[in-house]
Amino acid sequence: MAESPRSSPRSRQLLLRIRRGLFASPLDTLITVVLAVVCGGGLWNLFHWAFLQADWAVVLSNVRLYFNGNFPVSQIWRSWSWLGLLGALCILTLMPSRLLPPVVVRLLPLLWVLILPIGLLLLASGLGLEPVKSRFWGGLQLSLLLTLGTILMSLPLGILMALARRSSLPLLRWLTTGYIELMRGMPLIAVLFFGQLMIPLFLPEGWTLNRVLRAVLSLGFFMAAYMAEDVRGGLQSIPKTQLEAARSLGLSPLLTVALVELPQALRTALPALANQCVASMQNTSLLAYLGLIELLGISRSILANPDYLGRHLEVYIWLALLYWAVCILMTSLARRLERTLKVNGHH
Amino acid sequence: MASSTAPSPQPASGDQPGDPLSAGPELVVRSQGLDKIFPNGFQALTKVDLAVDKGEVVVIMGPSGSGKSTLIRTFNGLETIQGGHLEVLGYHLDADNNQKVVSKIRRHVGMVFQSFNLFPHLSILENVTLAPVWVQKRDRQTVKKDALALLDHVGIREQAHKYPSQLSGGQQQRVAIARALALSPQLMLFDEPTSALDPEKVKEVLETIRALAAEGMTMVVVTHEVGFAREVADRVVFMDEGTIVEEASPQTFFTEPKEERSQLFLSRIL
Ligand SMILES: Nc1ncnc2c1ncn2[C@@H]1O[C@H](COP(=O)(O)OP(=O)(O)OP(=O)(O)O)[C@@H](O)[C@H]1O
Ligand SMILES: [Mg+2]
Repeated sequence: MAESPRSSPRSRQLLLRIRRGLFASPLDTLITVVLAVVCGGGLWNLFHWAFLQADWAVVLSNVRLYFNGNFPVSQIWRSWSWLGLLGALCILTLMPSRLLPPVVVRLLPLLWVLILPIGLLLLASGLGLEPVKSRFWGGLQLSLLLTLGTILMSLPLGILMALARRSSLPLLRWLTTGYIELMRGMPLIAVLFFGQLMIPLFLPEGWTLNRVLRAVLSLGFFMAAYMAEDVRGGLQSIPKTQLEAARSLGLSPLLTVALVELPQALRTALPALANQCVASMQNTSLLAYLGLIELLGISRSILANPDYLGRHLEVYIWLALLYWAVCILMTSLARRLERTLKVNGHH
Repeated sequence: MASSTAPSPQPASGDQPGDPLSAGPELVVRSQGLDKIFPNGFQALTKVDLAVDKGEVVVIMGPSGSGKSTLIRTFNGLETIQGGHLEVLGYHLDADNNQKVVSKIRRHVGMVFQSFNLFPHLSILENVTLAPVWVQKRDRQTVKKDALALLDHVGIREQAHKYPSQLSGGQQQRVAIARALALSPQLMLFDEPTSALDPEKVKEVLETIRALAAEGMTMVVVTHEVGFAREVADRVVFMDEGTIVEEASPQTFFTEPKEERSQLFLSRIL
């Protein structure tokens, strides 16, 4: 008895809020009802399909292919350990830094740079392991390798181009501006095809470059143009007075760029750059059309198996989930970095 | 970058020995017939003659747009000059601003701006240690110790690990002074150091500058603080429309200014 008057204000408040939010006017009520019917119906159909009609064998019995591609089964531990290392690094980065020893926190950026060469060593050969040709690399592992390679190449290149674009040497300025405009004016798929055909022409006689590296180079050259524009925006946002302060302290132009301009510009550009990194991940899927068996490519080859005839929907939903998970992970890493930098006082 | 002009050979005019500073020039700044014309054709300084002796405190006053900032910015090469003769700490500055000469001058001339211009991405301590570590290439540990002593001197040691945005304007300006002092300059330039501050913060910054004057620092201060000028300045320079109109001791300038334009200006600010 004593309970009900006390609990009722709360529940009444909730009811009130629901009423105000969803049923405030006849029109609101109508919209709410229509949306509820549409969403509810859609969800019901999805569940019905997912649990009664879909056949998930196409996903469940090919997990290895989705993650490791055609990596030789005897060597598959190498592929899994790299994915594991990468996952561990993500977890370490996302953990609150007060839970980690300071040494680890300070080593994190270096580890992120090293994870790519470690991956290449583990997967290719190195370390006295049996060599595995790059055409056996595939699946999510290859997608991640391509993404990391693209980011590690395009970020420094983009920074250099952003700086070159405001150089006092006209030729350098024109060349970079022209390059950036050209790249931004071309569809990525065209750049990728060009890359596969053109890069070999630029190599010295007798050199070859495998398809994966050629793909990374093309993706990197393409993304760098976008990154350069983001960094340029960051550079432009720095007040002139900062440069005057740096110059009056006797800092050389090079030191001014390295110690005063770039750190501030990159912080400002960080959200945009993070966006480009996520886009790089999604862009790797285009390589399926150049015959690479990264995540999308391997899925297409699974679908080509007559056993799985007509199981497109299952596969593409599974793919969507995987890409989505990786992108969520990347955005949380970026937000984490943003927060760390904010803590280190910025405006 | 604007500062990456090609170095031009310095004329071997004889009065440019290996390191003029070691000679300890009595004249810290000497400008004769100095002209400044901006790229848009505007002449901001016309035939400015000014000499600043070692240990002297010169206060520059004048209405807005009279060229005060432009003048002191030529002293550390932030602005090039288009005519006349300018010598700072024994180094010659000219229209090309030879990069080597300018960077040598900047190592010995500190500058404090109206808007503080601290580096927002660096802590207070890092703001102060940046130039000694990277420009003078001194040992990090000693630099840090010296920087903390400097911050103590200007009364913000407790804030050493905070970031500029966490400090009040007055505190930021005192950090800016410490940052300039960290290079042990032989000349300090102040461009309206208290104009951007709340009235109650002006005093603490002026106190810091006053203490510096008492230690014998050579200073050129653009300011409209009459009380400060009266007490600290050895000389007041009044500028208008890019020229020096009157130059006098503070007593003379504030009580019996000779020129009509000075009188008009003083009647407005006093
Ligand atoms: N980069 C520039 N290009 C062209 N004209 C300029 C430039 N900088 C300053 N000026 C002009 O030169 C004149 C002197 O400017 P300066 O900043 O030296 O004045 P000031 O005496 O410091 O004024 P204030 O008290 O407002 O700071 C002004 O008329 C200004 O408009
Ligand atoms: Mg000014």
